[in-house]
Amino acid sequence: MSIASHREDGGGWLCQNNYVMSPTASPEDTRERGAWVVVPLFNEAEVITEVIRGLCQDFVHVVCVDDGSVDNSVELAQAAGARVLRHPINLGQGAALQTGFDYVASQPDATHVITFDADGQHRVVDAREMLELARRKRLSIIFGSRFLDKRTKPGFKKRIVLKVAVLMTRAITGLRLTDAHNGLRVLSMEALGHIRLEQNGMSHASEIVHQLAKAKLSWREYPVEVLYTEYSKRKGQSLLNSVNILIDLLVR
Amino acid sequence: MISQWVIAAALVLVGVYLLKARRSANQQAIRRLFLVVALLGGFIAVLFPEYTNALAGFLGIGRGADLLLYSFVIFGLFYAVYQYRRQLWQEKITTDLARSLTLTQAALEDLASQHKDQKN
Repeated sequence: MSIASHREDGGGWLCQNNYVMSPTASPEDTRERGAWVVVPLFNEAEVITEVIRGLCQDFVHVVCVDDGSVDNSVELAQAAGARVLRHPINLGQGAALQTGFDYVASQPDATHVITFDADGQHRVVDAREMLELARRKRLSIIFGSRFLDKRTKPGFKKRIVLKVAVLMTRAITGLRLTDAHNGLRVLSMEALGHIRLEQNGMSHASEIVHQLAKAKLSWREYPVEVLYTEYSKRKGQSLLNSVNILIDLLVR
Repeated sequence: MISQWVIAAALVLVGVYLLKARRSANQQAIRRLFLVVALLGGFIAVLFPEYTNALAGFLGIGRGADLLLYSFVIFGLFYAVYQYRRQLWQEKITTDLARSLTLTQAALEDLASQHKDQKN
């Protein structure tokens, strides 16, 4: 089946027929098959096993895109059950996401893509709920947002950084999002066709919003909780980096 | 002063080039023309220093040495911007190459595992 044809028939039918599609699936396996999870991976050996195991409990297709990790993240992710694609060199998180998107686009049975960070800050249950919402309401894009309720406690400095990012994304794209830099998103295959990430670094979050805004697809935000562990706090972005993101989006 | 306008315009051009430059044969030709002009200008400035002074006087800069300094800064900026854009382009090529390698490898692995499934 060609990529073009499976995008048009959308979601739905596959869920009933999924056991016919794959010879290895057993009827007892009730995990999600149509939505493919893409996890950009770069040196996350401390947490990746747990993250992948969590995802594999609910999703059959978990694709890790390793961006040239120098620790044993690849082996750990594979052992935990992920399909691991490997960049030969480090390119950046945006590039890793796009590679994952290309891979999923070539899968005839894919209906949705879920982007999920490797550092353990997202909850699998949020991903499932967002996917369910996308299917029920036939929405092309669901953005996870940590600012729609009070569960997430980002701390003062982080809150400022994220608010600046939100205001900037609004100014550039016109989309009134409350959380521009959340790594948890659900995209339909239609939405995926409108995305071509060219920002290899961390500016891809704004770039995704930008391209989806241009495509004028149906979207919604969904309240998610972001788990700030000691581990993920160490890897946060700085305020000055929003300057980089702005320049990246202007100079191409 | 004419010099203020000339220098301001040159700086604006550098900015436009930073934002809008595309890779094209025309732009390459323009860059090469610039180089030729700069070389010839250099020759003239060395052989006939009084011309530099005269031109500087006409532009309202005063000394020929100041004119040389200003042109040097502007050319330097252009060069930096050009190299920056070149680097962006190189990064894109590298990314495309690395990605196609990754996806080819993945497709091969998938084929191999399908083959194994069918055998079992």
